[in-house]
Amino acid sequence: MSPTLDPGDYVIVNTWAYRRREPAIGDLVVLRHPQYEGRFLCKRIAAVPESGLYSVRGDNESVSLDGRSFGPIPRPLIIGRVWLSAKAGRRRARTPESLS
Amino acid sequence: MALLHSFLKMLDRVSPAKAAYAHCDIPCGIYDPHHAQLAAHTVIRMIDLIGQLEKPGPSATPEQRQEYMAKLSRYVLVKEQHAEIYKSEIRILWGDYFKPEHAQQFPQLHDLVWKSLKAGSKGRQEINLLAAEDMLKQVNEIATIFWKTKGVPTHSAKAPYPTGRETVYPNIG
Repeated sequence: MSPTLDPGDYVIVNTWAYRRREPAIGDLVVLRHPQYEGRFLCKRIAAVPESGLYSVRGDNESVSLDGRSFGPIPRPLIIGRVWLSAKAGRRRARTPESLS
Repeated sequence: MALLHSFLKMLDRVSPAKAAYAHCDIPCGIYDPHHAQLAAHTVIRMIDLIGQLEKPGPSATPEQRQEYMAKLSRYVLVKEQHAEIYKSEIRILWGDYFKPEHAQQFPQLHDLVWKSLKAGSKGRQEINLLAAEDMLKQVNEIATIFWKTKGVPTHSAKAPYPTGRETVYPNIG
């Protein structure tokens, strides 16, 4: 999810967010992994087809493995919307690009 | 934001929050220790070939020396590559395939993986037949555990390659 989120960041999830409305494109959500029980994922809603299945994507497209790997997500797997995120406040990792 | 993060970190210590991952492995479910076993055989074979190479004597021509160097370089290169493939395959099995319940069922698993990786490094660094054979021995033990976790019985047989060492195979079909 970089640059939106980095490892170690905290997110506070509003599990009531979708009581009155449905997830919308662009929402940052936490969902249950479709294949691994007990594993949670943090992704962005990319498409809302009419069938009630949601496509999700990572923000860092080049490295993130997302809905294209495990298919559309059924609505009940979406736990809630990220209400607040807290960055770790550390310096950005020095990549070879940033050093050049 | 750093303040909020510190506050949440403190809360996390008191009442641990669940982790949400932004990256997920593709759960392809396709794993097999055979890649690592094959890589160990290749390392053994390269060491055999290096041993069979005739070293150029003091009266060797420049062409003979060149030919020797070229062959030696190729064998060493392949040995290095396959020792690395071996290590990579072991890491994939360990990190992606084996689950905590497997480690509980086979308490020797972590130590075995550790020994395999050490053997892989030694096999890569040195021209050492014993180290290469140790690579195969360790991965055979991992293969036995791997197939047990899938409920597949195994047998040990001489591999149908020039290396001909004992190798663990699953009884499939």
